[in-house]
Amino acid sequence: MSSDLSDATGAETADAASDADGEQPLVRVEGLEKYFWENDSLIDRLLGDEPVAVRAVDGVSFDIHEGETLGLVGESGCGKSTTGETLLRLQEPTNGRVEFDGENVYDLDGSELTDFRRSAQVVFQDPFSSLDPRMTIGDIVQQPLDVHDVGTEAEREERVRDLLERVGLSVDQLDRFPHEFSGGQRQRIGIARALALDPEFLVLDEPTSALDVSVQAQVLNLLDDLQTEFDLTYLLISHDLSVIRHICDRVAVMYLGEIVEVGPADDLFEDPRHPYTQALLESVPRASTAEQDRDIETLSGDVPSPRDPPSGCRFRTRCPKVIPPADLEIEQADFRELMDLRERIERRDVSLETVGEDGRFEFEDGSVPERDVSAFVTALKDRLLDRDLPAEHDAVVEEALTELATSNWDAAAETLRAEYQSVCERENPPLETPASWAGADVDSSEGEDHPVACHLYAESTRSAPEPDP
Amino acid sequence: MTETEMDTTTRNTNAEEILRVSGLSTRFFTQEGQVNAVSDLDLRIERGEVFGIVGESGSGKSVTARSLMDLIEPPGEITEGKIEYNDPDLADAVRDDYPQAVDGEYVDLLEVPADVRESLRGTSFSMIFQDPESSFNPTLTVGEQLAEAVEVQRRASARPRSTRAKTQDYTLASFALSTVLPSREYVSEESRERAIELLEMVGIPDPVERADEYPHEYSGGMLQRAMIAQALAGEPDVLVADEPTTALDVTIQAQILDLLAEIQEETGMTIVLITHNLGVIARMCDRVGVMYAGEIVERGTLEDVFDDHVHPYTEGLLGSIPDLEGARGRLQPIPGNVPSLLDSEMEDRCYFADRCPNAMEDCLDHPPEYDADGSADHEVRCVLAERDYEESRALPEGYFGETERPAADKHADPDRTEEDVQPERAEQPVDDSGGDRL
Ligand code: SF4
Ligand code: SF4
Repeated sequence: MSSDLSDATGAETADAASDADGEQPLVRVEGLEKYFWENDSLIDRLLGDEPVAVRAVDGVSFDIHEGETLGLVGESGCGKSTTGETLLRLQEPTNGRVEFDGENVYDLDGSELTDFRRSAQVVFQDPFSSLDPRMTIGDIVQQPLDVHDVGTEAEREERVRDLLERVGLSVDQLDRFPHEFSGGQRQRIGIARALALDPEFLVLDEPTSALDVSVQAQVLNLLDDLQTEFDLTYLLISHDLSVIRHICDRVAVMYLGEIVEVGPADDLFEDPRHPYTQALLESVPRASTAEQDRDIETLSGDVPSPRDPPSGCRFRTRCPKVIPPADLEIEQADFRELMDLRERIERRDVSLETVGEDGRFEFEDGSVPERDVSAFVTALKDRLLDRDLPAEHDAVVEEALTELATSNWDAAAETLRAEYQSVCERENPPLETPASWAGADVDSSEGEDHPVACHLYAESTRSAPEPDP
Repeated sequence: MTETEMDTTTRNTNAEEILRVSGLSTRFFTQEGQVNAVSDLDLRIERGEVFGIVGESGSGKSVTARSLMDLIEPPGEITEGKIEYNDPDLADAVRDDYPQAVDGEYVDLLEVPADVRESLRGTSFSMIFQDPESSFNPTLTVGEQLAEAVEVQRRASARPRSTRAKTQDYTLASFALSTVLPSREYVSEESRERAIELLEMVGIPDPVERADEYPHEYSGGMLQRAMIAQALAGEPDVLVADEPTTALDVTIQAQILDLLAEIQEETGMTIVLITHNLGVIARMCDRVGVMYAGEIVERGTLEDVFDDHVHPYTEGLLGSIPDLEGARGRLQPIPGNVPSLLDSEMEDRCYFADRCPNAMEDCLDHPPEYDADGSADHEVRCVLAERDYEESRALPEGYFGETERPAADKHADPDRTEEDVQPERAEQPVDDSGGDRL
């Protein structure tokens, strides 16, 4: 969906953020944070009465250049929709800054704010969930014109007709109600409404997720045409990687409130760098007969809660490439297994009373009798580990599990931590274009801007305390 | 139809068909009129295969699944057809009482009383859904509910369905069960252990702890696994999976598909997989049927359907998917909308003709299923299997311009969308790119 303009900006130098070519991005997001506070009963129970921050968006930064489509992709709960709403000021940010056309969006008021609201529009998955079902579609499309008092009544009506026709609906449907339309048609109406005030920028929040694939294709083609015709800039929020690839010039991948990788779409899809992006792409089943022969390594586990995100890299609890300590000789899969085990012990997520068959071990005052300890450790290990570990690591695990025979959780966790602490849990890797990457295979694609937040690419920053900007 | 039946009897001589569906029609009698959700549908499912049914909303795929499971409720009704299940024991058991239901080792489930069908649920047929919450009671732990499922299946299979008297017994017993069971005292230690085994089998980490948790403490992916465990409790022969991964994130979807494939391999279970996602079909299935407007319009092996398809609808579906790997280009959508399934509006023609770029005069007669090139299983309900498209026979543009079409293209809610048919005026196809791609 690229116009000439976006091609030029999409392929900017690695310095894009500093505007090497002097062109200012249309939208600039810096350190945006949005926390929700909650204190529901389940949480109460676990944590007492303290309000809990749900860190939906936790410091994201990106630019959107005029005429381009930036994709924001991630799984449910990663914060992509909240990012979209917050940057449009539909929600107040907890922290951070958003510039639109050089102005700080959160400082605007009066007529400046009105101008912003006209220039930046949104299309939701279900455009009518928030509208009065008794409004006709003519009223729905005309409403923004009325609110902003644009032109005469006759001019507004004329505009509504033009818009409806442009999105592929016939004008004699003006007096009908939303429920009389199919999902695809409703989305066209939503788009017509969003275009009514002649905006520059559209946030498209899962615009085709509720549609059948044949109808989705119609809407995607329509969005493509409209972008060219009206010089629109898009932020497309979607969980659907195929849609993202099809439409976007650049893509940002979100995980648990953070951006883990940004890059030109082709680059990111052909050469994904972040282990999460790699896993995400690998997980999508392809509609082709070769699909059954494609080996995929599925990610284990679920996304952790944004109420209590993991320290360091937020993906580390699932990352198949989580980095072992430098001096440790260990197979990657064994290390992953050990990290999972440690995680469970740290969360005290093991029920010791049920180890072994039929209450085989008496748990008195939180301890197994001395004589049973080694049998207990064996049974527990059996239950907790799916792999046989090399003797050296097996010994460490047994030492830790022995602590559990006396319910000494902290000591067990400490034993494992001392041996297996990863850089991935100590430091949250910054989102940056890998310095060491310049010499690697990608330096052929000149001037690309493809930062990634992962320690695998940050050798230099790990050894040097002051990373070179 | 008769053609099809003859074809299928000459084919598949070595693979055993566990399920034979013939001429199945399921209709909904709504205020707007009669809705033909599934029309004259034939299916042959082989033991141990994964058979996929793919279609968009309103295609009838979910109603087909529910018809197989005997889960059609008023105003819906199975109005015609046979659903024959291959089970020699069951055939012997019901032969005397219901001779018309039995054909060799096959029993027509629509010809036996509801309580016999009921007794097969869980032990012979099981179903999983898009939304696992619907399968669990929020006030009981997952372990309790799985143990109950185990218990119910145990009692059901301990009671042979050999005589009418015993069948009546079962009805009573199941009544008693359903009123008494939600209380843990009735769940034996044995069932509880089996429940934990099941949780382990579906890959729930540390099942001993998880068994004591409530459904809301599970993540979406875990609850999906637990629902699969529940469906497996009775060691069914056939698992009907209706959009099992549609509500899940893609990394979790990959886990669940893996799990289903593993279980299928281990148990040799037959899976009927219903989905709108062609990628899921490609990943999982041996054979596939493409549904449109209540019919299977193209069926065959994966190669037949993905690589050698004949039906313009199949072509349109594949052309609508944005490619994950390729460069960007314009999508080739299918113009128009999902058709009306209102009996009063369905004409006796190819149901796809109003959206088809190749519609000809020949298409104004409802096409039968023709054999098509490719595997012996490849069949297409389209005249193009028999003759090439001829410009001179094409229907004039706007031929169907005035027909009414329904508003239903959400795939999220099979119950509602497949019945909820509201006529509306036809939309002018906005996209003309569909017309020139063949
Ligand atoms: S920083 Fe570590 S845990 Fe995070 S993605 Fe990179 S390797 Fe994986
Ligand atoms: S029968 Fe005719 S109208 Fe129907 S799909 Fe085939 S070519 Fe198109």
